[in-house]
Amino acid sequence: MSKHQYAMVMDLNKCLGCQTCTIACKKLWTDRDGTGYMYWNNVETRPGLGYPRQWDRIGGGWKDGALQPSPLPTMDDYGHPWEYNYEQRLYEGKRQPVMPSPEPTSGCNWDEDVGGMNEDENYFFYLPRICNHCTYPACLEACPRKAIYKREEDGIVVIDQDRCQGYRYCIKACPYKKIYFNEVTGKSEKCIFCYPRLEKGEVNACAAQCPGRLRFVGLLDDPESPVHKLVLIHKIALPLFPEKGTQPNVFYVPPFNPPKRENYGKSIQEDPRVPLNYLIYLFGPDVKDVLTRLESELKKTQEGGRSEILQLLIGRDAETRYHVRPQLVQIQV
Amino acid sequence: MRIRLLLIISVCLQLSGIARAQAQGKPAGPQFLSVAAPSTGADELLKVGAKAWSQITPKHIALNRTPPLYDTDEPAGLDIPSVDVRLARASGRLFVQLSWRDATQDATTLTEVPNTPPETRFRKVQTEADDRFFDAAAVMFPAKPGTAMTPSLQMGDAENPVEIYYWNATRGAMLMQAQGRGTTRRTGQSFTASGTYQSGQWNLILELPDLPTGTPLAFAVWNGGQKDRDGRKYFSVWQVLE
Repeated sequence: MSKHQYAMVMDLNKCLGCQTCTIACKKLWTDRDGTGYMYWNNVETRPGLGYPRQWDRIGGGWKDGALQPSPLPTMDDYGHPWEYNYEQRLYEGKRQPVMPSPEPTSGCNWDEDVGGMNEDENYFFYLPRICNHCTYPACLEACPRKAIYKREEDGIVVIDQDRCQGYRYCIKACPYKKIYFNEVTGKSEKCIFCYPRLEKGEVNACAAQCPGRLRFVGLLDDPESPVHKLVLIHKIALPLFPEKGTQPNVFYVPPFNPPKRENYGKSIQEDPRVPLNYLIYLFGPDVKDVLTRLESELKKTQEGGRSEILQLLIGRDAETRYHVRPQLVQIQV
Repeated sequence: MRIRLLLIISVCLQLSGIARAQAQGKPAGPQFLSVAAPSTGADELLKVGAKAWSQITPKHIALNRTPPLYDTDEPAGLDIPSVDVRLARASGRLFVQLSWRDATQDATTLTEVPNTPPETRFRKVQTEADDRFFDAAAVMFPAKPGTAMTPSLQMGDAENPVEIYYWNATRGAMLMQAQGRGTTRRTGQSFTASGTYQSGQWNLILELPDLPTGTPLAFAVWNGGQKDRDGRKYFSVWQVLE
């Protein structure tokens, strides 16, 4: 168990699906050889295929204390990365249009905005995903090289690139399929929760760039941090697929009041624009209590009152949303 | 004295094992591996088709499949039951030829990474596949040949470190060291090796430093088609250099 635990809360009611977080992450960390298909941060449409497709159904994680089997996703599941012929168009004077190659057949958020149907009404929402920096990481347990470790000082899970031999047991074990194999280096890579930024007092790149201001970052064990308040005090943020047994440290405020014609003032439980069963599938049965809490807060403000929870969720400024504490986290040298 | 006694007992046990296995018509366990001393030069011995190799009778070494290491491992059959080993000494080096039948050639040529930094290039080298594993083989021997104790077959042990000459059909030859299971590390050094695949058979020649008589040698083969990597592989028991 780590001394401290960095955590992130994402408010799904505010996600625009704009992928600015994805690009921020990609430009910073995965713009290298072999990383084209890697999205340490991705945003996918739910319900939907996800990235890699069907990651939520192929296995991994824990059950009764044992790792669960899973195949490796294939490049067809990720989509083969493509490049555009900018050289010819911009530098070689060829007049053909800029085209991707190879022909894209799948990719990150390939089924954007398709969503699902609910009593003749289409519905969808966005789910941004990073590594969950789990308290009980299945990837760490699966690695025979002991190349994966959870940083004692802040709970961030990282892969030691010197020890990794590219066996990919970690990818199989991760129920969220958030580890990627780099065939060029022969090693596996994953989100590092921007620890080099946190150590300098800067928040994660994905959070810093988010125009929807939906990400909250801090130490879960720091009573002053927004993540501590949202997860442990107000209890309105839940981990994804808690039954996978890894105890994620990324939490989500479920979508609780998506707009729909003729439903003004009705709670999502009275008029489930997003089927409750789908939210239970993603976040477990506790989502019902969370929705009830959120709806009562909304009601409070609609009646002219003030909700501390909703004020926090609005997250007007960086000081509210982030509580990065490099001075509290003693970096092990 | 005690160590010498243990060695004698261990050799006797190995020899009785061979006799028993031969009597039952099964491939032998530990064998003495004789080393040819052809007049050919070292360069010639790095060629699979060299005449010197054809004049050496191979030792047929039985391979074992490691039991499933993890609960989540897919089962794997004994698709490669044996490896043929030929040894030759020339120019103060030991040349090992390993030959084994493998129905599929699991190897590729990875795109060469340009020397220029990726951020200066329009195009990056891409990961072409994330779920393929490549054929490989290795020879393991004690890091301190000539000591009486045979190291643990599981990558040596704390008192008896091992050297592993590992060759991968895609990534080439790399020298490794280990002091027990899970401690294997790449030294960053390479060595000379030459592998060819033809008609369902791998022929691999490894150039090792010369080793004294009595040195234990063990062999391993990884079948990429069976998703072999790590301890998921075929292995021989210790053989003895004659």
